[in-house]
Amino acid sequence: MEAVTPQVVFYLFGLPITDTVVSTWVLMVILVVVAFFIRRFKPNAAEMILESINSIISSVMPENANLNTYLPFLGALAIFLVFANIFSIFPLMVSPTANLNTTFALSAVVFFAVHVFGIKRKGLWNYIKNFSDPIFIFPFEIISQLSRTLSLTLRLFGNILSTDLIVAIVFALVPFLIPLPFAALGMLTGVLQAYIFTILASLYIASAIEVEQTEQERRRLKAELQQSS
Amino acid sequence: MWQLDSSTLITVLTILASSIGIILGCILPALMEGKAVQKALDGITRQPDAANDIRTTLLISMALLESTAIYVLLVILVLLFANPLLDRFFG
Repeated sequence: MEAVTPQVVFYLFGLPITDTVVSTWVLMVILVVVAFFIRRFKPNAAEMILESINSIISSVMPENANLNTYLPFLGALAIFLVFANIFSIFPLMVSPTANLNTTFALSAVVFFAVHVFGIKRKGLWNYIKNFSDPIFIFPFEIISQLSRTLSLTLRLFGNILSTDLIVAIVFALVPFLIPLPFAALGMLTGVLQAYIFTILASLYIASAIEVEQTEQERRRLKAELQQSS
Repeated sequence: MWQLDSSTLITVLTILASSIGIILGCILPALMEGKAVQKALDGITRQPDAANDIRTTLLISMALLESTAIYVLLVILVLLFANPLLDRFFG
C-alpha cells in the first residue's frame, strides 16, 4: 500500500501535501531557474534540444497550421514530462507522474486545450458540426473523447509507477549495482513515455484543428500525385 | 482449502487471480507488439525512405498496444494493494 499511494509529508492549512507535490515544486523551481539561465546565456546544446522538440511536434501537425500557437503548450508539456518521468533517480525525490492526480491533471489540460484550440480555429458551430456529421455518431465521439483522456492518464501513470516499483523491489533484494540497469530502463521508458504523451497530445490537437478539405481539392491532389508518380 | 476463514480465502483467490491475470496480460500484448515490430521492420527494409514515418507510427501504436498491458497491471495493483472486497467485507 505504501508503495502505490503517495505519502503525506505535512499539512498546509489542513490540506495534506504529499511527496509527489513536494517533488513537483522542486522540479518547477529547477525548470524555471534553468529556463532563466538558458534565456540569459543561450547555450548551443539547449538550442539543439529545443529544435528537436520543435521538429518532432511539427512532424505531426498539419502543414497549414500556425505552429507558434501550439508550440508553447506542447513544448512545455514535453520538457516537464521528460524531467518528471526520470525525477525518481534523484535521491529523496519521487516521480511526480507516479501519482494518478498529476497525470490526470495533465491529460485534463490536454482535453481542454484540444477543444479550445479547435473552437478557436473553426468557430464554435463548425466545430460542433464536425463532431456530429451524421448525427448518430455524436455520442460515440463524446465517448471516444473521454476514453482517450482516461487512457492518456492511465498509460503514463502505469508506466512510470511500474518502472519505479521494479527499481524499488530490486533495490530491496540487492541494494548494490544490480538496480542500476533497471533504473536505466526506467529512464528510457520515462523519456519514451514523455515523447508518446506529447505526440498523442499534438495528434489530438491536429485532428481538432484540421480543416476539412473539399472533395474537389482531394480529387485534384490525387490527380497531381498520379501525374507525378 | 475450504476450511479457511473467508478473509484468507479472498486473499488467496486474489493472489491466484492476479497471477493468472498478469501472465495473460504480459503474454498477449507482447506477442502482438512483436507482430507489429516485425511488420514495421519489413516495411523499413523494403522502403528505407519511409523509415521516419514508419518509426513514428510504430512508436505511437506500440504505446497504444502497451497500454492494455498497463491496464492489467493497474487492476492487479488495485487488487493486491487496495483490495476493495477485503475493505468492504472486513473493513
